[in-house]
Amino acid sequence: MDLTLIVVLVIALALFFDFTNGFHDTANAMATPIATGAISPKKAVALAAILNLVGAFLSTEVAKTISGGIINEDPTTGVAIGPAMIFAGLMGAVIWNLLTWLLGLPSSSSHALFGGLVGAAIVGAGFGAVNYGVLLSKVLLPAIVAPLIAGISAYLCTKLAYAITKRQSGTSPKRGGFRYGQIFSSSLVALSHGTNDAQKTMGVITLTLVASGLQDAGTPVHFWVVAACAFAIALGTYTGGWRIIQTMGSGLTDVKPAQGFAAEMSTASAILTSSHLGFALSTTQVASGSVIGSGLGRKGAEVRWGTAGRIALGWLFTLPAAAIVGGLAAWITHAGTVGVIIVAVAGLVSMLAIWVLSRKNPHTHETAMSDIDNSGAAVNILSKKERRAKAKAEAKAKQAALRAKAEREEAEEEKVDKA
Amino acid sequence: MIDWTAFLIVAVVTWAAALLIVAAYSMGVRLLAVAKDKGANVGLNKSGAYACFTLCGLIVAFGVVLIVPQLSEAILGIS
Repeated sequence: MDLTLIVVLVIALALFFDFTNGFHDTANAMATPIATGAISPKKAVALAAILNLVGAFLSTEVAKTISGGIINEDPTTGVAIGPAMIFAGLMGAVIWNLLTWLLGLPSSSSHALFGGLVGAAIVGAGFGAVNYGVLLSKVLLPAIVAPLIAGISAYLCTKLAYAITKRQSGTSPKRGGFRYGQIFSSSLVALSHGTNDAQKTMGVITLTLVASGLQDAGTPVHFWVVAACAFAIALGTYTGGWRIIQTMGSGLTDVKPAQGFAAEMSTASAILTSSHLGFALSTTQVASGSVIGSGLGRKGAEVRWGTAGRIALGWLFTLPAAAIVGGLAAWITHAGTVGVIIVAVAGLVSMLAIWVLSRKNPHTHETAMSDIDNSGAAVNILSKKERRAKAKAEAKAKQAALRAKAEREEAEEEKVDKA
Repeated sequence: MIDWTAFLIVAVVTWAAALLIVAAYSMGVRLLAVAKDKGANVGLNKSGAYACFTLCGLIVAFGVVLIVPQLSEAILGIS
């Protein structure tokens, strides 16, 4: 197959992936300020799109991690895998993403991307093609550590925000001001999303250019690549915005303005610092960590371990599953031009099929729309009434236990007396 | 092989930045609430609140300057 044609195909697919990423993720950032009425939906969506665009231009550290780190470089040919393999890997990621979206499984589009690439590289060029050290230290470990850092941060920030605004002598704390703060914090989340997620696509396109010999290994990301990815994610964000407007008011977790502000600030700082150090994160996972952490920071919160466990399992599953799909696609691609056509057609057919299916019964997918919102369900925040009822029930149980113990002792004493 | 200091940096910077910003903003919200109390000095409390909000913005702006290589070179003189 013509080299330039496959390169163009990969770039188009990568930009499509970028677009869906913006479409799927970024709307999450603006959901809370819209829900609390701090900003109108139209303005919020436009703001998120612009900030994603700006964010994509801020840094290229994450792109470098992907283009020059994860896949080992061959000293003679540049990169161990060809553009056809990258195409297969991308297809694997796209198919896996659409599949999880359809089934309503918690997933991470970023991990699907890495999984697909790694799977394709292993099938295409053997196990030596992947630099496991970089994969571990820049992708896998950050995936565990960053949500944890963000969660702890959100927990502490929520406690701090409530402590500072608490008023003595029963005056109202007037925490409504946090609503406007949420416009600010949500904007930062959108910005950080641009710095991390748009860069993943830049990395893939640069990797393709290096692999096909159109760019020297180790050289910086081309400006047109940065610009194309920035516009793709911004466009995705803008077109994806209608969805949050539709789902507004239904199913949003109970997030108070002060808590939301703390969570978003934690998310934004964790992602921005990580992007700066070249960690390729899943922004959804970090945001979920923050939402759970900030929920725990509120009075009377308890974790629903079942829900939390299900989400974690979904995350764990994503990378290897996408790797298998990517590997399979790479294996078919090995057949040459016919293979590439088969993979492209299979990808297109599955995209169409999933789109048609999702049109048929859109209601079952409303719940799967926002992964972050799903993770909010992992924390159960009891109302004052429920807290009181729970304390009462606990006290009752304690009394009952004491009474039972006393009765048992009495019975034993009687036994002793009788004996 | 694994750069543990990088994780430490992410943790410390995230916690410090988020806590500082949240503390400043919360202080601002509190001062606005105090300004509405009976007999409170409205002007002083309100300007204190806006100073807090400005501080928030400054911390964020500083963070962005640190992240963007061109800006940190132009403003702080480090690359």
